[in-house]
Amino acid sequence: MSIDPTALAVEGSFAPADDRASQAPSRSLIRQAYHDTLSSVGARIGLAWLFLLLFFAVFAPFLANSHPYAAKINGKWSFPAFTFLTPSDVLLLVAVAVAATLFFWRRFTFLQSIGILSGILLIAAVPVRHWVKPPDVDVLERYRDYQAQGEIQHAIYAPIPYSPQDRLRDQPDARLRPPSRKHWAGTDTNGADVFSMLLHASRIALSIGFLATAISLVIGIIYGAVMGYFVGVTDLIAMRIIEIVDSIPTLFLLIAITAFIEKRNIYVLMAVIGAISWTGYARFIRAEFFTIRKLDYVQAAVAAGLPKRIILFRHMLANALTPILVSSTFGVASAILYESILSFLGIGLVDEASWGVLLQQARAGGAGFVWWIALFPGAAIFLTVFAYNLVGEAIRDALDPKLRKRD
Amino acid sequence: MSQPPVEHRVPASRPGGFPLKSTPVPLLEIRDLSVGFETNRGLVRPVNNVSLSIYPGQTVALVGESGCGKSVTSLSILRLIPQPPGRVLGGEILLQGRDLLALSEREMRSVRGKDIAMIFQEPMTSLNPVYTIGDQIAEAVTLHQGVSQRAAYTIAEEALNDVGISDAHRRLHEYPHQMSGGMRQRVMIAMALSCKPKLLIADEPTTALDVTIQAQILELLRKLQRERGMSILLITHDLGVVAENADAVGVMYASRIVEFATVEDLFDRPQHPYTEGLFRSVPKLGTTVDRLETIPGMVPNPMHFPNGCKFHPRCARTRQCAAAVEAGNAVFPAGANIPKEVAPAKDGEGATFAVLKKCATVEPALREVQGGHWAACHVIENFDAAPVTVPRLDHRREVVPATVEGDALVT
Amino acid sequence: MASYILRRVLLMFPTLIGVTLVVFFVMAWTPGGIGASLISNEQGMRPAERKAMEAYYRKRYGLNDHYYVQYLRWLNSVSPIGFKTSGQGFPEAWRFGLKPPDLGEAFATHRRVSEMLKDAIPITLLLECLSLPLIYGIAISTGIAAARARGKLVDVGLGFTLIGLFSLPSIWIGVLMIGFLCNDSYVHLFPSNGLHDMRSDAMTFLPNLSGGHFTRGWMLDMAWHLCLPVICLSYSGFAFLSRLQRGALLESLGQDYVRTARAKGLAERVVVFRHAFRNSLMPLITVSANILPGLIGGSIIVETIFGIQGMGKLTIDAVNSRDREVLMAVTLIASILQLFGNLISDLTYAVADPRVSYVD
Repeated sequence: MSIDPTALAVEGSFAPADDRASQAPSRSLIRQAYHDTLSSVGARIGLAWLFLLLFFAVFAPFLANSHPYAAKINGKWSFPAFTFLTPSDVLLLVAVAVAATLFFWRRFTFLQSIGILSGILLIAAVPVRHWVKPPDVDVLERYRDYQAQGEIQHAIYAPIPYSPQDRLRDQPDARLRPPSRKHWAGTDTNGADVFSMLLHASRIALSIGFLATAISLVIGIIYGAVMGYFVGVTDLIAMRIIEIVDSIPTLFLLIAITAFIEKRNIYVLMAVIGAISWTGYARFIRAEFFTIRKLDYVQAAVAAGLPKRIILFRHMLANALTPILVSSTFGVASAILYESILSFLGIGLVDEASWGVLLQQARAGGAGFVWWIALFPGAAIFLTVFAYNLVGEAIRDALDPKLRKRD
Repeated sequence: MSQPPVEHRVPASRPGGFPLKSTPVPLLEIRDLSVGFETNRGLVRPVNNVSLSIYPGQTVALVGESGCGKSVTSLSILRLIPQPPGRVLGGEILLQGRDLLALSEREMRSVRGKDIAMIFQEPMTSLNPVYTIGDQIAEAVTLHQGVSQRAAYTIAEEALNDVGISDAHRRLHEYPHQMSGGMRQRVMIAMALSCKPKLLIADEPTTALDVTIQAQILELLRKLQRERGMSILLITHDLGVVAENADAVGVMYASRIVEFATVEDLFDRPQHPYTEGLFRSVPKLGTTVDRLETIPGMVPNPMHFPNGCKFHPRCARTRQCAAAVEAGNAVFPAGANIPKEVAPAKDGEGATFAVLKKCATVEPALREVQGGHWAACHVIENFDAAPVTVPRLDHRREVVPATVEGDALVT
Repeated sequence: MASYILRRVLLMFPTLIGVTLVVFFVMAWTPGGIGASLISNEQGMRPAERKAMEAYYRKRYGLNDHYYVQYLRWLNSVSPIGFKTSGQGFPEAWRFGLKPPDLGEAFATHRRVSEMLKDAIPITLLLECLSLPLIYGIAISTGIAAARARGKLVDVGLGFTLIGLFSLPSIWIGVLMIGFLCNDSYVHLFPSNGLHDMRSDAMTFLPNLSGGHFTRGWMLDMAWHLCLPVICLSYSGFAFLSRLQRGALLESLGQDYVRTARAKGLAERVVVFRHAFRNSLMPLITVSANILPGLIGGSIIVETIFGIQGMGKLTIDAVNSRDREVLMAVTLIASILQLFGNLISDLTYAVADPRVSYVD
């Protein structure tokens, strides 16, 4: 056998291209790639959607909420929308505020910013957990009742005055209403406002996409680095394990694992999706180590007596991080897709309404085919996956020297 | 460089120089060819106003550093410039009086491979890895000679025999990866010559090969040229190869031909400072120098060529003259019509020095500064009075018996 | 070549043992676990009865043993060589030897798993065999078209559309297709469920026009039922492969041997189809190893949506009833398919590229 066929294998649909490995992207190349990416129309559309989604996710409680921002009840002002914020809502807002400040201030490097952000969040978590205590009982139709009884003198409502869990029990035939000015995307079988559910579900999609990919990146990078650094027996055994994981079709493994977990929440799904899709990254990092070992300047540095460990890791980071971040963009897309498929098949999220769960309702909700429940959540999944793929494509094209126009 | 030191004088003889009656009509004539590439930072012009002619049976060499436009010139003769982004901006390429640039794509295809064939620098990648040698040679033969597949294979086998591949019949059924680099270049030559072209363009045919193989390949080309009377346009950066093989030489620098002469003339009396610099930067056999001279600075990027003479930032001659002007001594060649003004210039490393203002502002045309010797430099005797003519040199080296010292190196 | 194939096939066994080990213990260790799958569906049982029933099944399926004992027992029964009751297999008198592999009995339906698979596998394979040529045919032709029109509007538009198609979730498209195209409220063009009409058993095999009255016949009926599922199964694979084909063709069009071919005077068509195209197939062959298993994954979705009783539906039913035996069998088969997919793609690679040879 003259060529090792495993070396030629491409992992799944978002395989990192190995041939790019040998050139470390210089700073100007990265800047150029950044420019090229931003000048691509597709990437702009994709980024626009993702930012819109991020906005929806962060401000979901203010965009769609049954409680008014402010209400004057019997002459007394109260701020129900704010009182009902959960600690994680508040932390998310803090995170976005800090991130935006750091971005516009342009004072710190990327890594510093991440450090500052996590530091502030860790410190903020304690007081937020302590002070933010939303009331235990949340009667969503309460303010509509007050309004009906004329007890509210003034009230400012959110643009969509329905929470996703608000089943409009006060309104008799609120179930399965088609889209109208009152319910922009109609209501579901329980009478809940679909648009409000869509808005809140963007949190699930974004967080699963990010965190599942982050988990698989961490596993993949560490695993690959171990394989690449300790060649020999470790590599041999570890590679067999990768082959075993790769020989199980991903969706099968995912279904087999999640199906046997009884309490499936968003964190379980993140962990499972992340724990399954790391092999591509591990293979890439391993290949990177093997390439770097052979490079002349690395051998020269080793010959000059510099510690090999440091050289290998530094060059690995410099060479591999950019391509691996590109392929992780596609990883985010497929993680979102996997979550929605699992939820759609009825083995995903149990008590939260993700886009996939909504789509399942359109198929098996017992009310036959309800077009607005099918169309909008599906479109949301599609647009998000599409956006990630467009951005990933654009970055990859920008970084690929072979596709570059000649200067 | 892996090249051993070679005497860069023209050998008194050329093994197998070949006798041919002078014909007044050149086989190929390039007039004022300019080629541009559209890039996202504007139009780049890697070839500017190149004129050149090749007579039947003649070997014309095009020498220059990499990036000077010599390969683009050779590719545009066959119209193989990728379009877009490439585009011929102007000029004519006449093959026996027929303008290749005016032909339809279909007519052009019958020229390619049949009248003009080409071999490339990289024998390792220039053959298609998934087809056998026989298939690839026979493909061209069936196309241009309209013979059956079987006859084409016979011709292919002969062609392989001609280029000195032993066991040609078996080799026909081998794949390129089963051969060495030298073998593959022989296959490329066999493929190029299988249709008996009138002109062979050899684009750095030996650069990628070992030194001993280089000599064999060049000897093979000479032998085949002698037998068939074809012309060769030899693209190279290696003055040794030029000295051994060429009848006439064009020196290219930054998209233009800066000097054109017979090989003897050029090696004996180089006119352009760039050519002089080239000769000084290669070692000579039998002489001892402490260190070789180099041409300062770097080849300019086609994205931003300097104004005026494109060589002036690196030119020793204009620097000397400018220094002399500043010192009050005039050292100009007689009849040089240059205002005695000096302009600052910067070399590749950013060091500043003075050059003649005319060199920095006016680009010199290629003029026939002596009979049969063209050059493009303001600081040549009577340069402005010399006529601008199409470089044509119906010159071949003397025919001498093949037993010369040079042979020892070749065989 | 033969020895290479033999070696690869032999290497599959340790991999398959690893795969089943992983899946088995993942199922065993996850909260809920294997035992929970035994809650029987029968209603109206008193708690005591229920408990007795559960105990009976636990004993019958050996679920009271330690997990690794269960796994080893499963492995032994699946393996063609192993411990057996004497009097069967080969050699007959021995307690150890060759024997027919046994995939066990489904916990939920108490049917033999092999019988369930015998019904399901042909259906899934039919879907796959219809989708594969469709995927490759469209992908290659559009890929070539896009590469040849590089940078023009066609190419850019096609590229955008294909990323879009690739990102379209098939769960959405399936639901919309059923909702809009198989629904009396909108357009009822296609049947919404299964592979056959209820009356298909009474149909003739081929369509006929006897008595001036057209009847579809069994074959056409099935084709009609297959339309939407096949489309739903194929489009994302074809979008992915098409982009791959475009990139590969562009890359090989930039190679030196293509320039050589042009310098020979070959027509552009010949250059593209004979010289560049064959080399551009290599990446497609490489990913073909993942296409078949990908389709099996896709069939889970498609079969669920369109109510087709294939392997995917079997998987989902097994998952919902937490049926370990069926799930193990399906995973085993999917993994075998994946491994054979890899092998076939490596062999095809060797055929397509003379530089790769497995003769040693």
